[in-house]
Amino acid sequence: MSTTSSRGGSVTATVLYQEKVSKLPRGWVEGDDLWLTLPDLAAASGWELKPEGVCRGETCVPVPDARLASFLHEESGERWFNVSEFARLIDQPFARDEAHYVWYFGPPSWEWQSRVGSRQAPDFTLPDLAGKPHSLSELRGKKVLLACWASW
Amino acid sequence: MREELKGKNFEVFTVACDSKGAAAAESWIKQANPQHPSVIDEQHRVAELYGAKNVPSVFWIDEQGSIVRANDPVYAARRNRETGESTVNQDYLNAVRDWVSKGPTSIYVQDERRVQAHTSQMTAEDVQAMASFRLGVYLFQQGHVKDAVAHFKRAHQLKPNNWTYRRQAYNLGNIEQDYGTTFLQAREDPASQPFYPPLELPKPT
Repeated sequence: MSTTSSRGGSVTATVLYQEKVSKLPRGWVEGDDLWLTLPDLAAASGWELKPEGVCRGETCVPVPDARLASFLHEESGERWFNVSEFARLIDQPFARDEAHYVWYFGPPSWEWQSRVGSRQAPDFTLPDLAGKPHSLSELRGKKVLLACWASW
Repeated sequence: MREELKGKNFEVFTVACDSKGAAAAESWIKQANPQHPSVIDEQHRVAELYGAKNVPSVFWIDEQGSIVRANDPVYAARRNRETGESTVNQDYLNAVRDWVSKGPTSIYVQDERRVQAHTSQMTAEDVQAMASFRLGVYLFQQGHVKDAVAHFKRAHQLKPNNWTYRRQAYNLGNIEQDYGTTFLQAREDPASQPFYPPLELPKPT
């Protein structure tokens, strides 16, 4: 599965990008960092390299030229992208498991910082026992008592 | 409570914070047989979104979708799993009734600053702890129970007073073997306070 050395190596990486799980047979690991090919990056995370920067939907993050080399690496005509370094750029929390080559990437800074100063109840959608999804926003117009509990 | 108040434009929404998913929550939910939305949150997403650090944690949300009371560490009513008996917290139930009938003029409605103080915003440490916790949950779900523990410990180290992360991890593993502590010791650790936020219930006049 892996051929890592001190310089890094090729692994089958499992990437948990917020809610999405991808298994990528062509991950390249170097220390804490995970490099992916551009098609794998797009498939796992939705981020794509464009002339204006690294983009996902309407959002584009400009990458300073001086830092470009730490994100992008070209080898045998293929371009590789350092997902971990990009996470550092956008203050996105990440954690990795060395034994199983699993990386978790959380929300970028503008998602978790935007919760500051709002009394608006954040919406969410989760399944019930039967798997049926329910959203808090379906109850808009009613008073709602939201109760978090656990079996533990 | 719901039966009494449901005709008054009021609904209950319950969220089970359980990384073991339906397997852990099923018998409780079936016994309660709720007629309101009752969902399962394996990743503790709702606790993170609302700044809840333990359960129970109760929020009041008005007709416009604004939080008007946050993070109460109480149940209005709870059922004993073995006996099936319900215990009602009369003071809290009265507070809910008051809000349902009076809306924004209820003395139990909190102002924006109180609400914000109770729904503590996420810091860089919170989100880093979240990353370690989520990674731990994934590894646990894949059957890598021992490897999950290292990530849970990292989450606990970053946010010692996040009790949903701690109690969940203790529940998924063996607290003494995996974490070298007992629940009582962990609960009394000065770094991990408060276990529950204070319940601020004004006295009715």
